[in-house]
Amino acid sequence: MRLNNIAILLCAGVSLGLLSGCASKAPLAKSDSEIVGQVPADPPKNPLIKAETLRAESKSIAVTDIYFKKEGKNLTYIEETRTTTGNTISSVITPKVVEVDADKANASALTGGPNSSAFPVKFTNLADPKSTEPTAAPNATSLPEPASSSNASTSDSATQKKSGYQSNVEYGELRYLANPIRGLLIKSGYKLVQAKPSVTTPNQGDEYFDIVKRIKAGDFGDANYVLYGVLTEISVTDNVDEIPGTRSTSQQVALEVTVDFNVVDTQTSQIVASFIASGDGKEVRIDGKDTGFKPSMAKLMKLASLDLAEDVRKNLASQNFITNNPGSDGERRNMKRRLNDDPATLKVYR
Amino acid sequence: MIMKLKTIHLSTLLMSVAMLAACSGPQVRYGDAKSVETVNANYGSTDLQMIAEAMTRSLLQSKAISGSKDAPIVTLADVKNKTSEYIDTRVITDKIRTQLTKSGQVRFAVSVTEMQNQTDELKRQNQSGLYKGSTIAKTGNMQGAQFRIEGSIASIIKTNKDVKDVYYVFNLNLINNESGLIEWADEKEIRKTATR
Repeated sequence: MRLNNIAILLCAGVSLGLLSGCASKAPLAKSDSEIVGQVPADPPKNPLIKAETLRAESKSIAVTDIYFKKEGKNLTYIEETRTTTGNTISSVITPKVVEVDADKANASALTGGPNSSAFPVKFTNLADPKSTEPTAAPNATSLPEPASSSNASTSDSATQKKSGYQSNVEYGELRYLANPIRGLLIKSGYKLVQAKPSVTTPNQGDEYFDIVKRIKAGDFGDANYVLYGVLTEISVTDNVDEIPGTRSTSQQVALEVTVDFNVVDTQTSQIVASFIASGDGKEVRIDGKDTGFKPSMAKLMKLASLDLAEDVRKNLASQNFITNNPGSDGERRNMKRRLNDDPATLKVYR
Repeated sequence: MIMKLKTIHLSTLLMSVAMLAACSGPQVRYGDAKSVETVNANYGSTDLQMIAEAMTRSLLQSKAISGSKDAPIVTLADVKNKTSEYIDTRVITDKIRTQLTKSGQVRFAVSVTEMQNQTDELKRQNQSGLYKGSTIAKTGNMQGAQFRIEGSIASIIKTNKDVKDVYYVFNLNLINNESGLIEWADEKEIRKTATR
């Protein structure tokens, strides 16, 4: 009986020993250098985000609407009658104004340009007091009717006819070209700040383009950068060309815009990127001339603004202001910003 | 009497054979399109095949084609016929184009002679208003050719009472459309002599 108990105890001991031998053992701690072919675990999906870091890394930018300055010239025809009675001089001026494009005016008789026949008038600047003096009018037009004067016993009357131009400058912002640019900046990781609209003042001058003044006035909130563009030129072309090897022609209507851009650091007023960008929207119609085709300007404007934004993207990327490469700083900024903005994301602030 | 009857029978038989032979028409058989044709010394199918094969092989070995990362886009321009014979040079360039396209090393844009069909199709899709917008091949997206192929074929013919000697030289150039540089050029010479 005792022998049996001893045998049972021995069997139990051996079984325990075998079981413990089969059981898995905790791996021995190895130094990193000893781990071969093992991929380190992924970092937590929602890493700790410091609010300060987020604020520091998520740069904000404001994009102005595209500034423009339109220069026009008013062609003015003046008929002035001055009557001198004793010591009193009375003057009656009858102006007639025809608004003309500045370029056309410049290309007219003033320079003997191609529009001479359309505007057969020699232009003088009426803002210049010398040119408006009755006696000294070297630039005055040789009008069909020469200046006439009449003398009476009690009064002298002199009639003078003059033509000239008055410069007319208009400043403003185009509201429809900048949104695709704003979109690309959002995609590249910037926070967009809404800029206050720029308001022109009476007798506005080129100080309208003083972006630093607007930054200091707080027009762009707390934006780190301001991207502003000034319209260089906008033009619409309509050309018809033959298609070689066919009996057809192609009508090409294109809207082209060229804009001068600068990116200004609001803290330092330093220009961090500067370039000229252009975009065009084109509609091509085969045999459009024969069918009296009229293009949609809305479509052309959309195409031009998208093309302009693409050119802006290329220029900003070439000057290292933005990048669309995955894993880039811009991408990381964008991701962090989204994490910050997304209420569903778990965030731990320290 | 028997003799006369035999003569009538023979005549009838001969006439029947003659009529059958007349109704049978020309004899037709298929031959090998690649076999050498030497009917006369004029430009023929063997010349066409020799020229196309030599030019294609040489063009595919050119730096402009073999050194290009993507298959360059090429278009066909004129091959001028400077011989006194009527030669449809378009057949030569079409054959070269077929062989080059089959190689996969070159892509071809429609040539000037094919532009009417191309513009008609674009006009039909874009301007008829009949097609779903997303499926339309849009105007303004045709791809321009980087290179064009053009050349000439000339001949020198000398004859005397017994011999006719014909010498053909076919010249082909690959021209870079943007730079205007001739990137590749080759020629194929053929001499044919016919004796009586």
